[in-house]
Amino acid sequence: MNLSIESVSKKYARSQWGLRNLQLELRPGVLGLLGPNGAGKSTLMRILATVTRATEGRVLWNEIDIAKSPDPLRSVLGYLPQDFGVYPHLTAVEFLEYLAAAKGLDARTARQRIDDLLDVVNLAEARNRPLGRFSGGMKQRVGIAQALLNDPELLIVDEPTAGLDPEERVRFRNLLSELSGERIVILSTHIVSDIEAVATDIAVLNSGLLLAHAAPEEMLRTVEGKVWDLLVASGDLPSLRRRFQISSSVRRSDGVQIRVVSAEKPADAAVPAAPSLEDAYLHCISLHRGSVAA
Amino acid sequence: MNGAPSGRSRVLYHMARADFLERVRRYSFLVTLGMTMYLGYLAATGKIVLQVGDMRGIYNSAWIGTLMSLVVTTFLSLAGFYVVKNTIERDRETRVGQILASTPISKFLYVIGKCVSNFAVLAAMVTVLAVAGIAMQLVQREDAHVQIGKLLAPFVLLALPAMAVVAAIAVLFETIPLLRGGFGNVAYFFVWIMGLAAPAGSGAEGRTSIFDWPGLNLVWHSMKALAPTQSNNFSFSITAGLGSAASSSFLWTGIDWTPALVLTRLAWFGVALAIACLASLFFDRFNPASLRRVRGSALAGADGDTLANSAEVATFRPGAALPRWTAAPVRFRFGAMLGAELRLMLKGQRWWWYAGVVLNLGLSLGLPSAESRGIALCVAWIWPILLWSTMGVRERRDGTSQLLFSSPHPLARQLPAVWVAGFTVALLTGGGFGLRLLLTGEIRGLFAWFVGAAFIPTLALSLGVWSGTGKPFEILYTLLWYVGPLHQIVQLDFMGSSPMTAATRVPVFYLAAAGVFGALAVAGRRRQLQS
Repeated sequence: MNLSIESVSKKYARSQWGLRNLQLELRPGVLGLLGPNGAGKSTLMRILATVTRATEGRVLWNEIDIAKSPDPLRSVLGYLPQDFGVYPHLTAVEFLEYLAAAKGLDARTARQRIDDLLDVVNLAEARNRPLGRFSGGMKQRVGIAQALLNDPELLIVDEPTAGLDPEERVRFRNLLSELSGERIVILSTHIVSDIEAVATDIAVLNSGLLLAHAAPEEMLRTVEGKVWDLLVASGDLPSLRRRFQISSSVRRSDGVQIRVVSAEKPADAAVPAAPSLEDAYLHCISLHRGSVAA
Repeated sequence: MNGAPSGRSRVLYHMARADFLERVRRYSFLVTLGMTMYLGYLAATGKIVLQVGDMRGIYNSAWIGTLMSLVVTTFLSLAGFYVVKNTIERDRETRVGQILASTPISKFLYVIGKCVSNFAVLAAMVTVLAVAGIAMQLVQREDAHVQIGKLLAPFVLLALPAMAVVAAIAVLFETIPLLRGGFGNVAYFFVWIMGLAAPAGSGAEGRTSIFDWPGLNLVWHSMKALAPTQSNNFSFSITAGLGSAASSSFLWTGIDWTPALVLTRLAWFGVALAIACLASLFFDRFNPASLRRVRGSALAGADGDTLANSAEVATFRPGAALPRWTAAPVRFRFGAMLGAELRLMLKGQRWWWYAGVVLNLGLSLGLPSAESRGIALCVAWIWPILLWSTMGVRERRDGTSQLLFSSPHPLARQLPAVWVAGFTVALLTGGGFGLRLLLTGEIRGLFAWFVGAAFIPTLALSLGVWSGTGKPFEILYTLLWYVGPLHQIVQLDFMGSSPMTAATRVPVFYLAAAGVFGALAVAGRRRQLQS
């Protein structure tokens, strides 16, 4: 089972590139796709889900080009788009039965699978209520259930925790960890903590370019010795922000505790800190922005 | 300072301006202008004819201005309504309405702003026709002396007041929940038919009738007074070159716009304002609860709001495990897909809808004459119009396209299932007529009926896939249904409702048309998949 993304680019109107020359090789595990809004994450997801086509390059699923022959991939694909709708008059069960039919599941298997999934996403009690009455979080869980209907080999989830409350987010991350194993999971988000918990690999995108593709440990090594904790007066914060990449700030009674990502020590009082994935991500993005500005 | 008059004017201006700009920057606006120009072209080339008896007026400024204005008040009052009836819906869909609802803007001001924007769009089309009128006079050269006042007066006093009424009615339809969707689209067609018929014969000579919003009576009386003919026949029609040409012409110098007449025409702006006031009473200010109440009691909670995340469905079940499959039991069954599509199509229909189908089936089987059974078939096949108009549209409307289009073989599996579901609805609702033909052995009639059952869902699917909305089908189908089968015009009788149709080659033509529309639907969906 492997997914090869070979020099993929996506061009929108007027020379606007959504993706540029992307190269990735994926094997079973969870790939966390990180990037700011507009980085090209959803474009890549849609190309991989065969919903849209790359302008250049190709994507191979088990050596088969998904643009030329999308159905082998579609049979084993689970996809949760960032923005999706539901049929408001159908109940959760009816909606899942409909999509199960579209995915080619036989009725008996579909019924059993739907029962299991509604149990997992904890919507068994609401199974016969119209989706039009569901809250945003409940609809999102229906979306997650439909993505898992065919026990997919490739699971693509685009901003899956959007609309979920903190408790739901943690539970979903646990579910994703359980699901990974003998399948490829691609998880796109701009919430680093979601990725931190489950990803076996991380890819960072910005402005349609792949900036990094590495294991979390490797990402962390890129900011080893470059993360500092520093207590500063509130009035000094604006000038420090201009000079350094600040990954977090916490207000205290005696000033503001900040976390700085910088190769040089930002101040004499600064003390080295253990890097987090968020520091590594921000460092990666700021390096790219710096190189573009230069 | 919203309450001050100047503040209100400013809000109104920006409401209308933003809405107008949003519309005119859309591709669809260019298409609309193009179609308006085509109407102008038809008038300029004599395909749209205005006659008193067998005479027409000399193409001077007054005649051309009036001809073009009647194009506006008749044809554009139908097409223009459908063009502008989406302004509040757009705010709802884009969720801009939610933001506006949280501002201090009043319901009345919002509705008036939307009316003004609608009117501006329609006025742009009127302007196009006015320019076409000048060009027409210069091209025809029967009377090359362009009198701007005579040419523009009908636009200002006939066309624009009528467009103000249409603009306000469009907003009213959008604010009344029942008329907001497809039912409103169909209902307006009949309102329009009645609206055009109402002025006929009403109003004394030289005066305008209170029903004469398009100004037809006014024009007729004025022309009749100067036309050297005894005929009372006043016709305004699209002939497509097939109608009888006028045998002679006469000089008509235009309507004598007395202050009383001018005031009568301008009073229609007051009527439009009154309609707008009424609309503001119905406007729900984007309250989601009211929307849910409209969509059916099944969706409405006790307070019309979404379900609270009650404890039992609050979040993912802790520790719940999802069993893995030992083998992939994926085996597509068309029957399952068709059943799902049929359920989706019929879901939410109320008991009276099914009662109507059953009643019609009984009538179709029991009525004695072929003509009355034909009428019953017409009713049977207008009844499910709002089911058919969702074909090919649902995926975009409800945002499920990414889910469906990423499933295996969406073109070969889901699209045919949608079509067969629509076809099944046609067979079931019109089944009484078909069964009767089968029992009486009228095989040619049965063939014509069968072609109709195939043609309707194919047309719906094709228009739905290409337009992404049910509106084109609702409008076109209602128009075709009204002109063709209901009036027993054999050439347009796509459903074989008239006994005469079966004896002609018309069913074969519609079978071929169904084939073309089917191919278009497949091409449209393929295009969506490959975008």
